Amino acid sequence: MNRSLTFEIFRYTAILLALAVTLIPTLWMASMAFKPIAEWSAAGADLTWWPKSPTLDNFRFIFGTSTSDLIVALDRTAGKPILASLLSAVFGTLIAMTAGTAGAYGLSRFGSGQNLPLALIQLRLFPPMAVMIPVMIMWAFFGLVDTWWGLALIYGIVTLPFAFWLMKTFFDDMPREIEDAALVEGCSRLRVFMKITLPMMRPALASSALFVFILNWSDYLIALLLTTREWVTIPVYMASLSSSMTGQLYGAKAALGLIAAVPPVIMGIAIQKHLVRGLTFGALKQ
Amino acid sequence: MTAIHLENLVKRFGAFTALKTMDLEIRDGEFMALLGPSGCGKSTTMNMIAGMEQPSGGRITFDGRDMNGVAMGRRGVGFVFQNYAIFTHMNVYDNLAYGLKVRGTSASETDRRVKAMADFLQLTPMLDKPSAKLSVNILQRLAIGRSAIVEPAIFLLDEPLSNVDAAFRAVMRTELKHLQRQFRQTMVYVTHDQLEAMTMADRIAVMDHGVLQQVGTPLEVYNDPVNLFVADFIGSPGMNLLKGTLADSDRGLVIDLGALGVTAPLDPALSAVARTNGVREVVYGFRPERVVLATAGQGLAMPVTFIERIGARTVVHFGDGEQRVKAVFDNDIAVQTGETVHVAVEPRFARMFDAATGVAIREV
Repeated sequence: MNRSLTFEIFRYTAILLALAVTLIPTLWMASMAFKPIAEWSAAGADLTWWPKSPTLDNFRFIFGTSTSDLIVALDRTAGKPILASLLSAVFGTLIAMTAGTAGAYGLSRFGSGQNLPLALIQLRLFPPMAVMIPVMIMWAFFGLVDTWWGLALIYGIVTLPFAFWLMKTFFDDMPREIEDAALVEGCSRLRVFMKITLPMMRPALASSALFVFILNWSDYLIALLLTTREWVTIPVYMASLSSSMTGQLYGAKAALGLIAAVPPVIMGIAIQKHLVRGLTFGALKQ
Repeated sequence: MTAIHLENLVKRFGAFTALKTMDLEIRDGEFMALLGPSGCGKSTTMNMIAGMEQPSGGRITFDGRDMNGVAMGRRGVGFVFQNYAIFTHMNVYDNLAYGLKVRGTSASETDRRVKAMADFLQLTPMLDKPSAKLSVNILQRLAIGRSAIVEPAIFLLDEPLSNVDAAFRAVMRTELKHLQRQFRQTMVYVTHDQLEAMTMADRIAVMDHGVLQQVGTPLEVYNDPVNLFVADFIGSPGMNLLKGTLADSDRGLVIDLGALGVTAPLDPALSAVARTNGVREVVYGFRPERVVLATAGQGLAMPVTFIERIGARTVVHFGDGEQRVKAVFDNDIAVQTGETVHVAVEPRFARMFDAATGVAIREV
């Protein structure tokens, strides 16, 4: 392929633009997280790319151990919201992945419940807000409002279609001969699923779980409606970081944002090798 | 070590009939090849023997025991898949040991048998390698080893060599035959490659369009095809088939080969059958290997259109259109493209088919 110079220039410009759109806000947030108040507040003289006098004060502030001149009384620290986010997102992901994987396997292998895929995708046709009022009423009835388990449950339900559809694609791609090979050796269906199918699906499970986790982790609206005080999550807590004196506490928000970015990044790195779909299933020649 | 009997076996997938009706007796310890083009129903038949598919009609018995409703894990069959179906999350050793593990074989016995099988298939150097990164040739050995290790009474192989390279295929043909001699299993081998069927099988079942065409030893199928399909399908190149009409002459019954403007004499036995049969429109068939050069004025005078040299042998194509003839000679044959050559076939090597039904006309 011999591309023209114009094309190459255009290509790299497009790549740089795309990188700028994603990276500059992230870098700005990272930089802001280490700036003292004078450098991020409206009162600050000038905005700079790098903190002139880097400090961990923003982090100390959100965890309630600040000694600085941020004269704001926090009614709670970031510890509980981080825990709330972790619990609800992790368990929500577990629910969605367990139900989604089981459903996808059944449908992919036995073709039962032909209307299920469409019914599930319909869940995503509504804006979540359209169903949130009834959900709030139900959750209130069951005493699930403002609990991490209530949140985990709704996260599991909302992300189930994604888990299901992703896993179904992966199961459809896995050649049935591999399972037949184990069945013909006298393995039970359950044992085949546990010992052959699931282990071979590890890459698929990992990438689907990461996707579902990120969806749950970054939810704002559902948590805003279903939590009030005890179990608010990071995004909801972040929105509350403001004061009548200084307005938005950008430094604190940036510090929290940086912390919130850690789990998806760690998970992403941990399963990086699985994210490459090149590791297709089975040594098979089609 | 089990005889397989297929009785009136039928398989339909919705409106499509994959297998019309099949009766086949596979003897104890026999190497039976199911041979036919894609979509002929051979794999469907095999899947029903394995229990992966349920028959729509008829029954399958192993040594007289009806297999209807018996789960595939309880039939005592080993199955080698075309795409190997290796458990890529396990290493070579664990793949080989899998069947033994499922059966609850003791660790020491498993270890002994895995090592013996690895030795037999030359897999010993890679026992602890992850199976995901092996070459297709190795994967194929592994797949065969994984099924053979439990010493199944029936060994089913579904086109196991279609993905490996040609040189390795030749090696594996010999090894599979050895494997079968060693374990004396009943082997059913599905293939579309007649060379594999010819070289390995004790008997071949030729299938087409869901119908069993002919069952016989490789030579029976090759020498005496029961119909035009088998005649054309078996052999490379296939049998020469020329349309003709039976006519009486002073030499007795002959075939008037119409467009070629010659008549071919008939073997006395064949001509006797043809007389009682009453068919006039026939197809005259002979193997390319049976064609010999004749002196001028004898046999068929045909222009050489194309010469194909395949090493030890040379395939010469004569004529074109409807009346095309192929002949296989030694590679030192002195003919040239464009030249007209006289060729002949001894009447005893000629075969005859009913042009309307395609069925062979022969002594019974």
